[in-house]
Amino acid sequence: MSITVNETLDARGLACPMPIVKTKKAITNLQPGQVIEVQATDKGSAADIKAWASSTGHQYLGTIEKENVLKHYIRKATDEETKVETKHEEIINLEELRSKINGDESIIILDVRESAEFTFGHIDGAVNIPLGELDQRFSEIDKDKEINVICRTGNRSDLAAQKLTEKGFKNVKNVLPGMSKWEGPTEKVIKNY
Amino acid sequence: MANTKVAIIAANGTLFDAYKVFNLATAAAASDAEVGIFFTFEGLNLIHKEAHKNLPLPVGKEHFGEGFKQANVPSIEELAGIAQELGIRLIGCQMTMDVMNLEKDAFIDGIEVGGAATFMEYAKDADITLSF
Repeated sequence: MSITVNETLDARGLACPMPIVKTKKAITNLQPGQVIEVQATDKGSAADIKAWASSTGHQYLGTIEKENVLKHYIRKATDEETKVETKHEEIINLEELRSKINGDESIIILDVRESAEFTFGHIDGAVNIPLGELDQRFSEIDKDKEINVICRTGNRSDLAAQKLTEKGFKNVKNVLPGMSKWEGPTEKVIKNY
Repeated sequence: MANTKVAIIAANGTLFDAYKVFNLATAAAASDAEVGIFFTFEGLNLIHKEAHKNLPLPVGKEHFGEGFKQANVPSIEELAGIAQELGIRLIGCQMTMDVMNLEKDAFIDGIEVGGAATFMEYAKDADITLSF
């Protein structure tokens, strides 16, 4: 099993500062919101990639170490994250979502972030369908249940909630603000990789 | 590090100095900082067409040569090229060039030549200033 990414960069065997320099070049060719996997053997790259992402505004998702190769996952910055205006009217905050999770009603949590983002932390039981794949995957979602759509900051989930409503889903709520402020327990799936 | 300006003075010419200068400069530029390096005195060797291909290790530290090979660090020639690709300004010191009787064409293509005032003008509003 592997994490779905838009681009893979092989920086194995390279010493500092090359992993950073190569990542900088590679990310330039990506679309905002796309995810890159950077493979490196430089042990310093674990701290460096994270620091680099923080200074450039890209989103560091996490690192998996396997067979002495560090795989770093980064999502290219997008201005969508800074907009707060959402259009879908039915919204729910994180506290309300938490009490629903603990309640009796069976609900769906639909996480529309990229699979790499989902991999490094999501709400237990959430279903991952990245926004870009939603159009092809409506049939996987149960129309009779309440659907709580979540992403990182509430913008992608807003778009997804609008799409679902257009498709005839009746009970769709956008979770605001999203995983960036979620303080409840999260699951990781990296053990599978 | 967008909107961050880094000014570096390279005044020494061993392989150690060259890595300090170019590693930090390229890392900063790859992090979207604006970077300029002023090469003066022995630091000029770092951008000299021939000299920078074969910079000496510091006296007494020659045994580190093997370590550089094993760690697979890029060559200084390569790093200087990457620095230029990343838009780093490389400024050679005119006064040192005169003293050493060197012309601009002895250096890698694309460098600027300027005096102390050129660097000061660049560095006056730098957020980070480093000297090697």
